[in-house]
Amino acid sequence: MLQNNEIHVFIPAYNEQNVIEEVVKSVLNCGFSNIYVINDGSTDDTVKLALKAGANVIQHTLNRGAGAANQTGITYAKRKNFNYIVFIDGDGQHYPEDIEKMYDLIRKENIDLLIGSRFIKDKETVPIVRRLYNLIANILTLGLKQGKYSDTQCGFRMLNRKAIETLNLEIDGFGYCSEMIWKSELNNLTIKEISVNVRYTEHSLEKGQDLITGIKTGFDLIWKKYFN
Amino acid sequence: MKIRIFQVVVPLIALLIICLYVVRLRSGKSTLKEIFPTLLFLIGTCIFAIFPDPVSDAIAKLFGIKSNINAILFFGMGLLFLVQLNLYSNMRKQEKEITQLTRELAITEFEKKSSNKFKGFLYLVSFMELNILD
Repeated sequence: MLQNNEIHVFIPAYNEQNVIEEVVKSVLNCGFSNIYVINDGSTDDTVKLALKAGANVIQHTLNRGAGAANQTGITYAKRKNFNYIVFIDGDGQHYPEDIEKMYDLIRKENIDLLIGSRFIKDKETVPIVRRLYNLIANILTLGLKQGKYSDTQCGFRMLNRKAIETLNLEIDGFGYCSEMIWKSELNNLTIKEISVNVRYTEHSLEKGQDLITGIKTGFDLIWKKYFN
Repeated sequence: MKIRIFQVVVPLIALLIICLYVVRLRSGKSTLKEIFPTLLFLIGTCIFAIFPDPVSDAIAKLFGIKSNINAILFFGMGLLFLVQLNLYSNMRKQEKEITQLTRELAITEFEKKSSNKFKGFLYLVSFMELNILD
């Protein structure tokens, strides 16, 4: 039976006033009450609406990036000794209903990092442009990792206690997606992918990575690996 | 050898700056590690200003460049690139520190608010209990 108090849901968000209330409510409706919106320096009403929807809000005073927001979640989870945390995008792209099956799998197979993949099944729901960006990102991540992954860029991820204790992300931007995989491998964490559903709306398509961001992400990874 | 004005002015200015840095070093305001690259650059500038042709010819010969003027240009560009790389590295370190500060502030503020909310809840419960007992 799902112990929803065991799972802490982190939602990194930057200027998501249009959807954050809906995202938080959809997580609540799935039975998860430990919800933390990590507000990454939003300039709109994201905080107000997240609080109204019933989430806890951890606020960055400055916008630092998706990676920074994720690491804030990991740092907080480490301090509070959480056993399982899940990251879900704040743009409403992911279905919180998938959290339960992620939790079942992570416990059953004792996985440390479970990555949601949009490409294991039904990849036609993902727009072609996004698939291309992900292909580029996968190729860039290729040089840094050993395993084979279908979707290195999905932000829908679940971590267990070991991963929470071990990981320390240093890339502030979207490069954290690849950095998390790379550092998990370096620390011999068990990584697996699970098929997740995804929906793209006009709003979520405006968010996320574009080509320029992708190039910057690649550069960040190379700099991190070879110059840091 | 005909002495040109820059062969006097540039070394004098460089020597003045070197002296200022040495004073800073002796007073403990800077460390040798901090000022060493600058001192090296200033000494190099002095030598180059006093012996421009021999130095530029030596650089051209070292790097296999035909013209000594091109050698100076390429050497200068290389130096600027290294300076740029160093600045970029420092900028990234500072960005990392800003993120760490932002994170600590965020978590501290959140924990403070959570603790205040909990205290408020406790006060409310105590108040209600007192009223019930009365």
